[in-house]
Amino acid sequence: MGLISGSGSLTRYWVDSSLSANFMEELPKRIARYTFRNLEENSFEERSVGWVNIMDILDNRFTAMEYLKEPFIAMSLRIDKRKVPQTALKQYCLEAEEKIKELEKVEFLPKIIRKEIKEDARNRLLKRAIPVSKTYDMIWNINTGTVIFGGVNNKLCDEFSEFFLKTFELHLQPIFPYSLACRMLEKEGASTGALDGLVSLNFPGGK
Amino acid sequence: MQVLDKVRETESLGREFLVWLWFKTETVEWVFDLGEAGKAELWFDERMTLQIEHDLGVETITCTGDHPHMKEARFALSEKKDITQAMVKLSLGDNQWSFILDSTWLNFKSFKTPKVVQDKEEDPDGIFYEKMFLVEGAIAAVDTIFSSFIKLRISPEWETKERPALVKWINEIK
Repeated sequence: MGLISGSGSLTRYWVDSSLSANFMEELPKRIARYTFRNLEENSFEERSVGWVNIMDILDNRFTAMEYLKEPFIAMSLRIDKRKVPQTALKQYCLEAEEKIKELEKVEFLPKIIRKEIKEDARNRLLKRAIPVSKTYDMIWNINTGTVIFGGVNNKLCDEFSEFFLKTFELHLQPIFPYSLACRMLEKEGASTGALDGLVSLNFPGGK
Repeated sequence: MQVLDKVRETESLGREFLVWLWFKTETVEWVFDLGEAGKAELWFDERMTLQIEHDLGVETITCTGDHPHMKEARFALSEKKDITQAMVKLSLGDNQWSFILDSTWLNFKSFKTPKVVQDKEEDPDGIFYEKMFLVEGAIAAVDTIFSSFIKLRISPEWETKERPALVKWINEIK
């Protein structure tokens, strides 16, 4: 469940450059290139990542430009993963190995054969695995240049930044206390120098 | 300098903000003037994580419970631990939010807004805009309070008045 449809966690960013003159014209094409696509049943793909409608995770077509909610661009990043359970893989391999040993009337199988069996078993099981879907909301206020992302995990946030860059060709700057403080002081025309002097100090709480 | 290096180098700023915020809410000022947005009531509630770094690594303690003054957390603070996360309740007008504020990124975790009243069937976009109004309202409130802290932190008043009062409050628990 995402930020908009329920509760969640959020990280904030700034878009670090201004938008090009034809940004809005190019937007549908850019988004279409990176919309979510289902994992094919017969493929060996383990993961699929892409944009979906923030109000409906099953809609990846955006026929009515549902991502445009002025002054926001709002979508969800959908990540589907399918995984082969290790215990099932082990069991499947053991059964396959036993069958071959019986057929070929041997007691042991060479390492290379066992590796092939494992790979084959993994691929067969992967096709049968049901993908698990997760969505993370992304709300970009194009007037203020701030982006809210509905996740806080570092690895996930890195993946989101990269995906945002791929889609819009714009870099994101994460917001953290020092950068926020600098931005606030700059906005008021104050120098950020005083802040740089402070940060090397330890908090004085009785220390 | 890489962003992560800068985050690490300046991480004390977020930790100072959280301890100052707790000090304010526990002593005099639990109502914050947000200007045009009105007056916000803010308090720390039920959960706090504190950390100390020493030669052997990082030691983390989490204090939970509904004791209004969180004595164990106050004691940990007096033992030179820093607050890295705190559950905060924010009340503004008729609305109330709850979230865990993180000192490193100023992230909002377990973020709960007031209930949205728009009907999804009738007006799906209405839900979006109402929810965004609520999300941005809480973020703006925290940013305004953070801005007040920064102005105070770089002013001469910090050393002469605020810091001594803060240190006195921290050590009162012993």
